Amino acid sequence: MIKSFLKRFYLVLILILLYAPILTLIVLSFNNSKTRSKWGGFTGKWYVSLFQNKEIMNALFTTLAIALLSAAIATLIGTVAAIGISAMGKRKRTVIMGITNIPMLNADIVTGISLMLLFIAIRFSLGFTTILLAHITFNIPYVILSVMPKLKQTSKSTYEAALDLGASPLQAFLKVVIPDIYPGITSGFLLAFTMSLDDFIITHFTKGPGVDTLSTKIYSEVRKGIKPEMYALSTLLFLSVLILLFLVNMTPPEAERKKKTHPVKRILVRRVAPALLGILVLVGGVYYSTSSNVAGKKQVIVYNWGEYMDPEVLTLFEEETGIQVVYEEFETNEIMYPKIQSGAIAYDVVCPSDYMIERMIENDLLAELNYENIPNIENIGDTYLEQSKQFDAQNRYSVPYCWGTVGILYNKTMVDEEVDSWSILWDEKYQDNILMQNSVRDAFGITLKYLGYSLNSTDRDELYEATDLLTLQKPLVQAYVIDQVRDKMIGNEAALGVIYSGEAIYTQSENPDLEYVIPKEGSNVWIDSWVVPKNAKNKENAEAFINFLCRPDIAKMNFDYITYSTPNEAARDLIEDDAIRNSKIAFPDAKDLENCETFKFLGDKNDALYNELWREVKSH
Amino acid sequence: MPKKLIDIQGVSKSFGDNLVIDDLTLYIRENEFLTLLGPSGCGKTTLLRMLGGFETPDQGKVIFEGKNITDIAPNKRQINTVFQKYALFTHMTIAENIAFGMKIKKHTKSYIEEKIRYALKLVNLEGFEERMPDSLSGGQQQRVAIARAIVNEPKVLLLDEPLGALDLKLRQDMQYELIRMKNELGITFVYVTHDQEEALTMSDTIVVMNQGYIQQIGTPEDIYNEPQNAFVADFIGESNIFSALMVEDKLVKILGVDFPCVDVGFGKNKPVDAVIRPEDVELEKPGSGIIDGIVTHLIFKGVHYEMEVEAHNYTWLVHSTEMFPVGTMVGIHVDPFNIQIMKKPVSEDEEAIEVEE
Amino acid sequence: MKSKTLKQLLSGPYLFWAVAFIIIPLVMIFYYGLTTPEGTFTFANVAKITTPENLKALGLALLLSFISTAICLLLAYPLAIILTGMNVNQNSFVVLIFILPMWMNFLLRTMAWQNLLEKNGVINIVLEFLHLPALEIINTPAAIILGMVYNFLPFMVLPIYNVLSKIDKDVINAAKDLGANPLQTFLRVTLPLSRPGIISGITMVFVPALTTFVISDLLGGSKILLIGNVIEQEFKQGSNWHVGSGLSLVLMVFIILSMALIAKYDKDGEGNSF
Repeated sequence: MIKSFLKRFYLVLILILLYAPILTLIVLSFNNSKTRSKWGGFTGKWYVSLFQNKEIMNALFTTLAIALLSAAIATLIGTVAAIGISAMGKRKRTVIMGITNIPMLNADIVTGISLMLLFIAIRFSLGFTTILLAHITFNIPYVILSVMPKLKQTSKSTYEAALDLGASPLQAFLKVVIPDIYPGITSGFLLAFTMSLDDFIITHFTKGPGVDTLSTKIYSEVRKGIKPEMYALSTLLFLSVLILLFLVNMTPPEAERKKKTHPVKRILVRRVAPALLGILVLVGGVYYSTSSNVAGKKQVIVYNWGEYMDPEVLTLFEEETGIQVVYEEFETNEIMYPKIQSGAIAYDVVCPSDYMIERMIENDLLAELNYENIPNIENIGDTYLEQSKQFDAQNRYSVPYCWGTVGILYNKTMVDEEVDSWSILWDEKYQDNILMQNSVRDAFGITLKYLGYSLNSTDRDELYEATDLLTLQKPLVQAYVIDQVRDKMIGNEAALGVIYSGEAIYTQSENPDLEYVIPKEGSNVWIDSWVVPKNAKNKENAEAFINFLCRPDIAKMNFDYITYSTPNEAARDLIEDDAIRNSKIAFPDAKDLENCETFKFLGDKNDALYNELWREVKSH
Repeated sequence: MPKKLIDIQGVSKSFGDNLVIDDLTLYIRENEFLTLLGPSGCGKTTLLRMLGGFETPDQGKVIFEGKNITDIAPNKRQINTVFQKYALFTHMTIAENIAFGMKIKKHTKSYIEEKIRYALKLVNLEGFEERMPDSLSGGQQQRVAIARAIVNEPKVLLLDEPLGALDLKLRQDMQYELIRMKNELGITFVYVTHDQEEALTMSDTIVVMNQGYIQQIGTPEDIYNEPQNAFVADFIGESNIFSALMVEDKLVKILGVDFPCVDVGFGKNKPVDAVIRPEDVELEKPGSGIIDGIVTHLIFKGVHYEMEVEAHNYTWLVHSTEMFPVGTMVGIHVDPFNIQIMKKPVSEDEEAIEVEE
Repeated sequence: MKSKTLKQLLSGPYLFWAVAFIIIPLVMIFYYGLTTPEGTFTFANVAKITTPENLKALGLALLLSFISTAICLLLAYPLAIILTGMNVNQNSFVVLIFILPMWMNFLLRTMAWQNLLEKNGVINIVLEFLHLPALEIINTPAAIILGMVYNFLPFMVLPIYNVLSKIDKDVINAAKDLGANPLQTFLRVTLPLSRPGIISGITMVFVPALTTFVISDLLGGSKILLIGNVIEQEFKQGSNWHVGSGLSLVLMVFIILSMALIAKYDKDGEGNSF
């Protein structure tokens, strides 16, 4: 009795471990609040807005299409291969099975990287096809390993018996061998399908612009907070699979004993399930192909920061100009740069920050803009164009999009004292309550400023001093984050966080206990501007896109959505709310910016030094 | 008469709704070769597993040498089993397999080595010590399984259809081997099989079982010559079984015709079952037998001819050294002492033994 | 004979595929890992592993993946035994329990642990309600280990369950019959017989745990750098593919070791991971 109770108990514990996160996600899908760290009441609205969210639906259909196609192709190749391998001698078989084991045992990261290197080396542009090829590659072994044992069980004589009874080899194969190993084939297919569905790492390395599977979409959203629609979608996916599998496995015990498949089950497994999936992907495929780049259509490939544009703006642009937008996002300048530099993907318009623009100009990666195509630039305030000259000396390459400062966001309920200095980030009182920026230049910039140096310092001693200080700070830091600082501060997870001014307005609206300050030592004032890479294929479309973004109503739409300060003065005038139009956070006085500097490009050598020192801090 | 070694008292066992053994009582004598015989699903393996300790009866007791061992774990019983599919430890060599039980009992190394040598000699596998089980043929694995069990010097050796997976010739050889080993070792064998020929060849005592009940216990001769009911008659060898009427003592009405017999004490005009072995049916000229029939089928079987004779709407199975071609009219004669009369089952329990067609 | 050769030809497409998408890409990694950006041969990229930061990242990754593998084994073995003993007439049911979570995206599931583990997370709210001390493991190595165990446990359970459920019950009975008590039966028979499952489970858990960068990213608050993170950064941020490839080569040493281990116990050459 006790023993069986213990067994049950243990089983339940493990099931809780396995299913607790899933339950959490299901609960989150009904959360009225947009951030995951706050419960805002029950709602079903995400389930509605999910189906209106084109990006998520596209990602879903890409995911399903890749999973289905890769599983089907892998099943075909794998099954046929398994039959071939089983006919081989022992030595040959061992070698081939060794190769087959490689993708299964090899680290996903190595498999992904190796395929990426291959695709880039043969100038195969990364996209849907490359993901598909990669998925087929790692799926085949699962199929082979599922089919091989079944093949071993079937006797050769059945095949020969079929031949003896007058079947052609093909008929014998289709009518005798295949039905015999059918269970192996189906389980191989299902396994491949599941693995493809769940893969992130390999897709991460082999995907191209504008193509996202659910995994990569989620990963890019992780840093800035997952869209609740994603939880809703996952819940729906999970539940539909659960129900389907439940139906399939609900075989009456009597039928089971007679080893006869229940007709309902058989129909479900053989007809309904594949048909449903097929229809789903077909419909999705049609939907997908109408909504994404069709050959011959005008398009523009945009590479922007995460959550840095109102999706409605893209729709408007497409409607007005007939130019298709392929939209992709990055998290940091440092992640964006190598993609442009490698030229593996030809982006048309990119939105880097000041110092990175300088670097790109210096490395001859940018095309000069034709300002005749961008008449709306007149709406941009002169001060900002003047500031831009720090990195784009003659205003020839860039058009400002957003600007802002870096400061400290703190929670008034947790911090009693007045916050006016970076020093508070080194105060042991706040151990484990500090969120630090997870990007090299920001982290070092803050520290250098705190030490009274320039945030563009290249002086080794100053940098080492900063490194030591950052290392000293590490035990106090709860986490190094980028956009997640927003959710965590809203959820009262930390007392202090380093944040971009643009995020401050949104976080304050969600949690009024938060306050933003630019420390007295000074900080970084930054500008993100639109540029066109030299290898852009649709330069004119890119310029039309930039011009569109400079239209006051559009700039205002974006400001309302992303709450980052706009350099578009005509747009600022359109803001109805006085408090926001005159907000010190969004539009600080010149006095507040006294000690602030703009990042400059420090040269590849110094960049490498910064990176090395940063890694030293991180691995300490 | 040797004393009782195992006493099984009123055991029952069911799996779910399925009653496998119902209130079964049986004793096994010392140094006996006892065979549990019956079709699959008759409960014989379950009974064996209860002796081994792998199943616990729902009711009843198993007494071993006067001690109740019903709830004793298998590892504490002086009984060893040879499993149906040998159940060798595939990760050990033959020597390690055989040494397993002795190592558990912490015997000395020299004792173990001596025993392994002896056991391998007994089963004719000298020199196989370092081989792995996978590299052995089915018959060889079978012998290892036996060797592994007997080195522990059990009082009883349980064998669960040990020859089932072997081919005919090997099976026959092993039957003699087993008899030889049993005599050499002087221990009790409890043997489970569904093969009646195997049972008749090897056993001292046969227990015929069906649907959880014992149908008959007896020597091979008893079982063959005097089956106590239609099931046993049908299961052991081939038979002509009739639903008949006992007219009076020494006279039975079969297929509406009176046959003289030797049985008495069934009462008057009582329904009975009558069994006639095919070799006891004598064919003569038409009219000179008790009833007449026509030969419908003929096969040469080596020692004899097997024929089917259609008579009074019944197909008689006949074994004879004399040949009657198909279509021949024949007379059928049966000597009175070759007709075996059996009571019809009346209770529900006995219903179970009705012959399944 | 002819039909046999013909049959062997069936594996042709796969062999082509394997060469194109398994072998050649690996060669590419070797090429990048052993050359400078200018194309000259060098060991410098591989030698980068010896810098204190990288060694630390590798050491930590080895430590964490070792601990997670051990925990997975300790959790999975009893579980597999219980599942085998439950006598579920359908294997698929057991497989289902463990495969099902995979239909919810792995990133989301790992993310959800943030919600559960955070200072004001679900677990701590429950603990507070019960007046128990708070659990503070988010952004620590402990959280990463939890994430690894959570994500990779199925890969340990399934192979062990598969092997255990294939062991003939009578083999276990035979051991008991020969006098072994339950502990002896387990140590001398069950455990050695399930070794192929254990080995395959260990490699299926150890390799992905050793090389992950996502779990450490999500649950370690980017404070903890594992070797996977270092390599990912070389490719995605640092843009030094040569160093990244060089470090990948170091990782491959561990992968080759596990393949050798598998080969040793999987003599039929057909794998038994699933």
